[in-house]
Amino acid sequence: MRRAAVICCLTLLAGLSLPAENLHLEKTMTLPAGVNVRFTAISRLGNMIAGACQDEKVRLWALDSGALGQTVDLAGEHVSALQFSSDGRLLAAGGGNGKVRLWDVPSGTLKLEFTAPSAINVLVISADGHLVAAAPLDRDVEIWQMTPKKMAAHLHAPFAGTLALAFSPDSAWLATADGDTNVRIYDAYTGSLHSTATDLLLEPFAVAFSADGKTVFAAGADKTVTVIDASTGKVLRAFPRQSDIVVGLLLSPDGKLLVAAYANADDSRKPAPVLIWDVGSGSVKSTVLTPGITPNGGEFVADGRLLLTSVSGDQLKVWSVR
Amino acid sequence: MRTFVPGAVTRREVLQQCMALGSVAVLSAYAPAAMLAAFEEREKRALKPTPPNELGPFYKKRAPRTEMLRAPGDPGMPLSVSGQILDTRGEALPDAVVDIWQTDHFGRYDLEGYHYRSQLAPDASGHYKFESVMPGHYPDRVCQHVHYLVTAPGHKPLVTQLYFATDPVFEGDPDKNFTRDPLIHSRELVRPVMLVGDPKDIHAAVRFELCLERA
Repeated sequence: MRRAAVICCLTLLAGLSLPAENLHLEKTMTLPAGVNVRFTAISRLGNMIAGACQDEKVRLWALDSGALGQTVDLAGEHVSALQFSSDGRLLAAGGGNGKVRLWDVPSGTLKLEFTAPSAINVLVISADGHLVAAAPLDRDVEIWQMTPKKMAAHLHAPFAGTLALAFSPDSAWLATADGDTNVRIYDAYTGSLHSTATDLLLEPFAVAFSADGKTVFAAGADKTVTVIDASTGKVLRAFPRQSDIVVGLLLSPDGKLLVAAYANADDSRKPAPVLIWDVGSGSVKSTVLTPGITPNGGEFVADGRLLLTSVSGDQLKVWSVR
Repeated sequence: MRTFVPGAVTRREVLQQCMALGSVAVLSAYAPAAMLAAFEEREKRALKPTPPNELGPFYKKRAPRTEMLRAPGDPGMPLSVSGQILDTRGEALPDAVVDIWQTDHFGRYDLEGYHYRSQLAPDASGHYKFESVMPGHYPDRVCQHVHYLVTAPGHKPLVTQLYFATDPVFEGDPDKNFTRDPLIHSRELVRPVMLVGDPKDIHAAVRFELCLERA
């Protein structure tokens, strides 16, 4: 499997399938002629969806009306990462040429722009909206602050860069899932290394903080979700191992559920499930699996629903998972 | 003040000027001219660093130290890979550590164990070798490949991949077709393959030298 393909899956949740009985179609948007949406970001307010489109534009849709709002032309730069801030007031896009842009939503005012040395694998905005961290392919992670606009820190992984990022809920810490298979926790403002988890043998492709910020979930090629003490880097426990690799993690707002998107290690085109784990017990609460629908984005929104998007022909569909 | 114009004076003239001004001193029983000649010869041997290539995924740390990656009866064309780990001055790096990993003949990585994975220690002259099988193709990658992670004290880690000129994807013309795999950015990583042995015991042999940059 290509590394880039896995990185892509982090955003796309590609390859997963959903059983019809667990899905409710919330909205269908008709796409402009010739436009394909490669992946989406969903505002946690549940009011807006941003789509990274094949024509190298970012389009915004209102979720309640399904109406197409703004279109941002990235002047030919391929969009490789897209994320809303927690309060839905910022949208960040990372590009194939390393450019990162943050816009105010819905005004579209550009709030921050910087250029990293290579294509952006993944980016995250801190919960307080003051920081953005971007991981360029095979290069150091850059943390930028919004006010004043400057690089706050850059984080060096020994080789092969960083595959996934997560800020702690209080925005004080940044977790990195690195190519050397370690998970590192840094002070988000100074970049000083706080702890390192060295027990993972295979690359982690996804990372998420628990709701209290005391533990970190990491998952990837080892097919398990590992729970790590954020202050020491010590592995505390692991959820039962599955048959597929993990390519994405999403924690519910109350911190009780962890959504893990899986992919077949030998052939990412083959279907693989999404499991919704009960964090407390470490057991599977529900399994989402069905052929025919390939989601290309997902998020928990404010009312607790888990929303997923998929593209079918000229339609962008929004589903809620029951 | 005299301005240095590249190409206007020879390298030897520059060195001679340096010696005259005391910025290069020759402390040797040999004549300065002989030392300059040796210095120039050494500089000529400067090597280009091996082009990097994506890590993986599916790098797994703490691989066992073994030169025999294939197990008896493993399907696939037996493969012998050898080479030398050097720095850009052509000096051997015997303290290097060479992590390699690849798929089996069917294009599957072993994520549970360490089959077709090894951490090699070069010998005193920086030479390494391992015995494996020709890796398989798989849906998410175009070409057969072996992953390398090479580290050595005082040098930048090198992450790269070895490709094979015999890969059917190249249709016999890797010069023309190496970009069919979008991950191959350098023709240099596609290595010639020698078939050795006899018809009853044939195997593929490849040399892959690796050159690391100083940190």
